[in-house]
Amino acid sequence: MKYQQRVGHSVRRTSGTVALSLGILLSGMTLAQQRGGTLTVGLGYDIDTLNVYSTGYLGDVQAAVVEGLVAPDQKARYVPVLATRVPTVANGGIKVAADGKSMVVTYQLRPNVKWSDGQPFTSADVKFTWEAVKNPKFIAESKDGTEDISSIETPTPLTVVVNYKRVAPDFASTLFTFGILPKHTLEGKDLNTDVYNQQPLGTGPFKVTEYRKGQYVILDRNPYYWRKDKAGVQLPYLDRMIFKIIPDSNTMVTQLKSGEVQLAYGVPYSQVSQLDNQPGLNVIKNSVLSWQHLDFNLKGPAPLRDLNVRKAFAYAINKATVSKALGGYPTPIDTVVVPVFSYSNKLVPKYPYDPAKAKALLDAAGYKPGPDGIRVKDGQRLSFNIMVQAGRSTDEDAEQVLIASLKAVGVELKPDNKSGVAFRDARYKGGYDLFYSGWITAADPTYSVFFGSKGVNNGQGYSNPAVDALLNTAESSLDPQVRGKALRDFQTLLMQDLPTIPITSNPSMIAVTDKLGGFVPNPTNMTNFVNTSGWYLKK
Amino acid sequence: MSFSYLLKRLAGMLPLLLGVSLILFGVLHLAPGGPLDVYADNPSVTQEALEQMRRAFGLDKPLPVQYLSWVLAFFQGEWGFSIRTAQPVVQEILERLPATLMLSGTAFLVALLVAIPLGVVSATRRYSGVDYAITLLSFLGISMPVFWLALMLQLLLSVQLRLLPSAGMLTIGDGSLPDLLRHLAMPAFILAFASVAGWSRYMRASMVEVMGQDYVRTARAKGVSSRRVIYAHAFRNALIPVVTVVALDFASVLSGAVITETIFAWPGIGRLFIDSMNGRDYPVLMAILMVGSFALIISNLLADLAYAAIDPRIRYA
Repeated sequence: MKYQQRVGHSVRRTSGTVALSLGILLSGMTLAQQRGGTLTVGLGYDIDTLNVYSTGYLGDVQAAVVEGLVAPDQKARYVPVLATRVPTVANGGIKVAADGKSMVVTYQLRPNVKWSDGQPFTSADVKFTWEAVKNPKFIAESKDGTEDISSIETPTPLTVVVNYKRVAPDFASTLFTFGILPKHTLEGKDLNTDVYNQQPLGTGPFKVTEYRKGQYVILDRNPYYWRKDKAGVQLPYLDRMIFKIIPDSNTMVTQLKSGEVQLAYGVPYSQVSQLDNQPGLNVIKNSVLSWQHLDFNLKGPAPLRDLNVRKAFAYAINKATVSKALGGYPTPIDTVVVPVFSYSNKLVPKYPYDPAKAKALLDAAGYKPGPDGIRVKDGQRLSFNIMVQAGRSTDEDAEQVLIASLKAVGVELKPDNKSGVAFRDARYKGGYDLFYSGWITAADPTYSVFFGSKGVNNGQGYSNPAVDALLNTAESSLDPQVRGKALRDFQTLLMQDLPTIPITSNPSMIAVTDKLGGFVPNPTNMTNFVNTSGWYLKK
Repeated sequence: MSFSYLLKRLAGMLPLLLGVSLILFGVLHLAPGGPLDVYADNPSVTQEALEQMRRAFGLDKPLPVQYLSWVLAFFQGEWGFSIRTAQPVVQEILERLPATLMLSGTAFLVALLVAIPLGVVSATRRYSGVDYAITLLSFLGISMPVFWLALMLQLLLSVQLRLLPSAGMLTIGDGSLPDLLRHLAMPAFILAFASVAGWSRYMRASMVEVMGQDYVRTARAKGVSSRRVIYAHAFRNALIPVVTVVALDFASVLSGAVITETIFAWPGIGRLFIDSMNGRDYPVLMAILMVGSFALIISNLLADLAYAAIDPRIRYA
């Protein structure tokens, strides 16, 4: 078994210095990194635009080209990139107003950084980014955080002072992390149609040389890149990265086997073992910030509003079996906050697999087995529709396990799978009885969008004022103690109410050539390509 | 066949295309969801951002208004912008068209050159070993799923033997003709294989039927050589039903091959269609479907013209 779990191996870091930032210190090993070479990466989707702010996908390619002020590392903690430090209350980078209602964040920018066209990067670019993204004419998906800012001052070319209208603990996860836009090429341009969308200009280790729609993107070394390794060698090590667009996952596996592609993520679990047995390839597990869950529609069938019925569901499901059905890669979980976060609460009410207890709960609730084995009370059969996203084979496999587990305690689940937009529509509006799916989040998730009474992704109609209050506290405080406590208490309440059953955290499997050194998976939505400068190919 | 007939046919296309566009527009909008749903996968997208995009794309207007403005613009050559990529629709399609023409066009020609002779051979040597072999192959071709055959070929030719690239259109840094042909070989073969299977059966059946006709028997009785009987008397008449089938398939040369293009990561119209469908990119979808409908109507017209050329008894007035 060459199978390795690199995530979770802590990389020794002395926080505060620069070189540690992004995986350049790898497991303390410093091989003689070879400069040069071309790495070919397979992408499973067709890129719509290379503008990080308007793409509907995660910006894999963009992450190697465009840099933000800070970025999440492999442990989902923010590290400085174009800023010299991550602003905190402790280091004076964040100052909360006396009335506690607003805050000021100050960034010191790294000196001598150049855009890949050789122009200097300054505080004016940071301010321009906010103005350009906020502009109502710009059609973009990711405008989060722009409205929280009232104004930006640039007292020096390397100082940015950002005035926030509210205390926003998640200030780092959006605007200034996604990437900074170059003022000198974009000022006065229409960002919806500008050539930037096909040829983004960044400060990152690579620059876009050629983009052929539906085929590939070629990235070449940015000669002006600011980062050097510990030996003083100019980064990146790689000459070139090629992103090939391969929409079919079987073809992706074929290309990995034939050596036409050297790195691809999101390998189907069913294909992991055959790729791992392929000479020259390793499969790495990336514990992405995602959790799989079974949601109850609380606006749906009446029995689902009965807490004892929901508890019976929880006891009836064997999370280990679900994981086994998916090749054993997923990790069973007891709370919606994934274990990588310090505030993941290990003391929440738990519901270990116990079918006898499930049956007892249903008996107590008055549901007795009918002639066909399905439980009935006052003519109401415990029979529900369950929805997963059609075509997602891992979800469909898990769904089969859930159906079988519940049948064993006398509950009938009928698959009602939907795809694409029909699925999303149902998810938002609660067009289901039961719903099994997963969420992937940023490095500092806003849980109110899922579990707040007004959450945009709360299609199940869950509402608990105490939870709302706790999430409000967590999402408007900068004190890690206060936030941590509020988030831990929220998890306890959530698991008492049980509107959702957290089942597993499903990792993303990455197939990568054993010649690639310096590669560390990134679990956040900033993608695995957030730090490519330290990657190198062994000869 | 008169020139006025051709004009009449061409004039008749316009209302047909209009009708088709109305149906397509309706069906596309009946499908649940909309172009902004791709953003909904991201839990951090705000309702305000979505609302603003809806207004910017005119998706907040009532459907009839949206359709009318689309029709007026479309028939003036204003095909609008893609919602997914913000690029002009015409550019999106023109970027993908050459790849599809190359792949589907090659497959179409190869299939035609192989299928017609195969059908004739099959028919003239009915119940011989050759006929059985061709029949067996055709049935394999008709019943074998494209994706399975593609996977097997990829495994054999790319992974095991390393003879051909498994996917893509060219090796990066090498856009030469031999390189392109090596990339084209597998997908074109697979596309052609399925057509050959179907068309050769039609050709065989049609040929068998014609060979039993009185005039063929008369020709034989007159002592005409069997080669001449087949090629001068039977073949042309047998072609007529086959032309219909082939013409219908000819439209696919323009509309792309979704499965094959996806499996071989071939950047054609079929892929663009799937991506646009998944993203409910209405402007691009409508344009692709309209181009496809237009191709089908033109193919039909060409088929009719071909009848007249093949069969002197057919005259259009």
